[in-house]
Parts: sequence; structure tokens; C-alpha cells
Amino acid sequence: MDILVQILLNAVIAGAIYTLIALGFTLMYSTAKFFDLGYGALIAVGGYATYWSYKQIDLPVWLAIGIGVATAGLLAFLVERFIYRKLRERKASGTILLIASLGVLTIIQAVIAIIFSSQFQTLSKNIGSTRTFNIAGGVITDVQALIFISGLVIMTGVGIVLSRTLFGKAVRAVADDSTVASIVGINSPRILGIVAAVGGAIGGLSGIAVGFDTGIEPLMGMSLLLKGVIAAIIGGIGSIYGAVLGAFLLALIENLGAWQFAGEWKDAIAFAVLIAFLLFRPKGILSK
Amino acid sequence: MEYLLHIAILVSIYAMLGLSLDLIVGYAGLLSITHAAFYGIGAYGTALLMINQGFGFFTAMLLGMVISGVVALVIGAVLSRFRGDYYALGSFGFNVIIFSILLNWQSLTRGPLGIPGIHRPELFGISFSDNVMFLILCIILGAIVYGVCWYLTRSSFGRVLTAIREDENMVQVFGYATPYFKLVVFVIAAMLAALAGALLASYITFIDPSSFSLNESIFILAIIILGGLASHEGALAGAFFLIVLPEALRFLGFPSDVAAQMRQVTYGAILVLFMLYRPQGFLGKFRMN
Repeated sequence: MDILVQILLNAVIAGAIYTLIALGFTLMYSTAKFFDLGYGALIAVGGYATYWSYKQIDLPVWLAIGIGVATAGLLAFLVERFIYRKLRERKASGTILLIASLGVLTIIQAVIAIIFSSQFQTLSKNIGSTRTFNIAGGVITDVQALIFISGLVIMTGVGIVLSRTLFGKAVRAVADDSTVASIVGINSPRILGIVAAVGGAIGGLSGIAVGFDTGIEPLMGMSLLLKGVIAAIIGGIGSIYGAVLGAFLLALIENLGAWQFAGEWKDAIAFAVLIAFLLFRPKGILSK
Repeated sequence: MEYLLHIAILVSIYAMLGLSLDLIVGYAGLLSITHAAFYGIGAYGTALLMINQGFGFFTAMLLGMVISGVVALVIGAVLSRFRGDYYALGSFGFNVIIFSILLNWQSLTRGPLGIPGIHRPELFGISFSDNVMFLILCIILGAIVYGVCWYLTRSSFGRVLTAIREDENMVQVFGYATPYFKLVVFVIAAMLAALAGALLASYITFIDPSSFSLNESIFILAIIILGGLASHEGALAGAFFLIVLPEALRFLGFPSDVAAQMRQVTYGAILVLFMLYRPQGFLGKFRMN
């Protein structure tokens, strides 16, 4: 029985991380309308900016996390402003933007590897002295508890901003139809820029969470991005609540699968889930 | 001289990869980001069959191509039902998974340790173990790959493919089962990529998963984007420039690991800049849209 509780707990923690990734991705996708694979690199950027400020120049941990989140957000904004917006002005299709985003992914990952080397690094300073909590026979660490809480906070925050504020209304208008949004006086490029920054910042936070939970390496973003996208698709692409639901469902399936087969097949299981959904329910659980 | 031979062999291997990927991306208009997966299946299939089963290189290579083709048939049967961004996404995911399997299925692939001690080919008493002979073999096989691609794209099959690229719905209206065409070209391209993989394994005599990651697929994509889509000459030119050009970085005196990453930066920058300023590449007859 205990093992099942532990699997459920692991699934909840992984689900919280996937929620963050899927939220950032969904936000960007819903307004920009293309699969931004460069987002995978922003996850790593968050992790590495925190690594630099926390472990290399010894800033307090909260400041370091803030720097990580801000760097990822700023970079996302710059990429949107100087590459994607230019492409959009040339009437580029989603596929063109997707290829450009592959270029962005490659460049950022390589630059990270040049600055910090390709070695696997951990973010936490006090390995071994982490506090743990017992929940119904399972164990989670204090870091994991914090990840779960921050996942919930970000999820609620995004939900409230989108549904209750004027800014959220503008974002939803652009997501619906950016041309019409422009006609009624919404500055669509500006909204796209802000959403990219917020999405990038959330992606960066997910990278930091993974960094404290396990560790960081320059290519970490690729499989995490894939998980986030799978979560977004099985939840119903473009839907915020769908993304959250998809994230926890994916994490549960993955962890149950890893328990039944072996840990190394986790990624393959996640991919099988994606294929199954694309074939049988391409619009996801909560299709709009 | 040895160095020039090395470059020439790499160019011919990547030309095969570029030519075969161009069948999918350039002619059928499907953005596949998974070519390195089949390249890897071919390389690992050939290496494992040679080492574990004692097959000769050419038998192992053909079997490796068959394995790659069968895997492509299974995954392609799913992918062929999608279009546009979902096709790209599904293929992207498949590459991540194959990489993760090569890395984690340690009882078969030895994981990150890789497989050393792969032999150079031998046929009818002719040994291809020195690099001049190996380059000749690469050129012969490369010519065959070129011939296959040339024939395919000029056949009626190739015309249906380009028609699918331009307007898939219209082709369906005329009664063609378009998923079948997309699947067949995917399987053929995967088998040709496996051929390139077999050559790489036997040339380097060592393989590890890092050669078949998503970055490698992006690199092959950069080759055909630079050279130009739907153009065989473009694929050749792209392979030539993208192998030779970054070699200059070596002479600028960067340490080798930094040079490898600078190379990645170059490929990424090519993708971004070409999308911005010349989406059809140098010799391209088609631009993605």
C-alpha cells in the first residue's frame, strides 16, 4: 500500500512541474498560435540563471530564484520582439515560426553549454540535510512541497488574471482573433510581447524547480518541453484548466507506468500517451 | 590529406541524410524533425548485428535498413494522419523518445558508454578499412541514394507527393489515399537515413547516443533549409557548406568543446536567419508555409 501512496505523491510533484511548463506553453501558444520549441531552452535558462546567482556569486536563494525567473522572461520577450514579431510582419506561417524556434532552441542551448559546460549540476547547496514530510506513509522533501505550492499559486494566479482583469480580457481577445482585437484598439504585438515574457518566466520557474529537485543540464529543456506540450495537448490545447488537468494525468500515467515496467521507459510512456490522444481524441479532454 | 578525406566522408554521409530528409520535407512538404532517430536506428542496428551476431557489414547494413523501415512504418502510420504543426510535433517527440531509448536501454545499447570496436566493411576480399577506399564506398552508395531520390521525385509517385505538398485536400478529391503516399515516402527516407547511419558507425568505429539527438535532426534540417527545399543539388550544397564552414572554427583556435557548441550556434542562426530573409534557401524550389 505504501508504495502506491509514494507513487501518487511522486505523480503529484511531477504533475506540479508539468503544470508550470504546460501553463507557460499554453499561454504563449494561445496568443502566438504556433508550437514554440524555443520554450524548451527558456526552461534551462531559468535553471542556469539561478545556478549562476545562487551558487557562483552567492546571492540569497529568493533573490536567485527571482533572477532566474526574470532572465527567462526577459529572454522570451526579446526573442518574441526581435525574431517572431519580424516573422509575423512578413506573414510567416506557423511552420516557418516553428523552424525559427528550433533555431532559437539550438542557439540558446549551445550558449548555455559554452558558458556553464555540459555537465550535470545541482542547484541545492545542502544535499542530504533536506527536511522530509511523511504523508500517509509516503515521503516528500521540503523542496517538493514548495514546488507543489508554487505550482498551485501560479495556476490560480494565471486563472484569476485571465478571467478577472482587463489585461486578461485583452489576452483572451488576442487569443481569439488578433486581427479583430487590433480593430477594437488592442495593441496585439504588445500583448504578445507581455504574454511571451510571462510564459517564459513561468517556464524559467519550472526549470528552477527541476533544478532544486534533481539538477540542471543544458539539454534539460527538450524532454521537459515535450512533457509540457503533451500535457497541454491531452488537456485540450489552448485551455488553461485543460493544461493543469493534462499535466497531472500525464504525471500519474507516467509514474504508474514506471512502477509497472521500469523507470527508463517513462519518456516512451509519455510519448505513447501523446500518440493515443492525437489519434483518438486530438482535441484533448477539455476541448473548446 | 587524411583530414580532407575525413571531411569528404562526412560530407557524403550528410548529403545522404539531406537528400533523404528532403524527400519528406521538401517534396512531401511534411516538417519531420526526427531524421536522426532513423540515422541512429541504422547505426545501432548495423553495429549490434555486426558485433553480437557476427554479420558482415553489408548484410548488417541491409538488415539495419529493414529495421529502420519497419520502425518508420509503425510510427509513420500514426504520423501520416497528421498535417502541419502536429506532424512536426509528433516527429519531434519520436526523436526525443528514440534518443531516450538509446540512452536508457543499457542491456542492449550500453547507454552513454556507446558501442566501440565496429569493423570497417569488407566485400569479396576488398577491404574498405583505409579512408580512400571508404570514401569510394561512400561515393558509390551516395550515388545510389541520389539515384533513388532522383527517380522517386521524377516518377508519378513523386508528382503525387508534390501535389500533396501544394494542396492535400485537392489530391484527396482526385481519389488518392494521401496518408499512404506520406507513409511510403517516410519509410523510404528512413531506410536511406539508416544507410547513412550504418556508414557512420563503420567509419567512426564507435557510436554513442549523443550523435542521434534532436540536435542532429535540427542539423540535418538546417542542411536542406540552407541548400533549399525540393532540390537535390540544394541538399548536396547544404551538406557541403554546413560541414566545411564550421571547420573554420577549428582554425580560429577555439577549444574543441567550445567549437562544437559554436557549430550548434551557427546551425541555429542559419535556421533563424533563413526563415527571416530567405525561407526557400539558396537553390530551393519550395518554401514551407
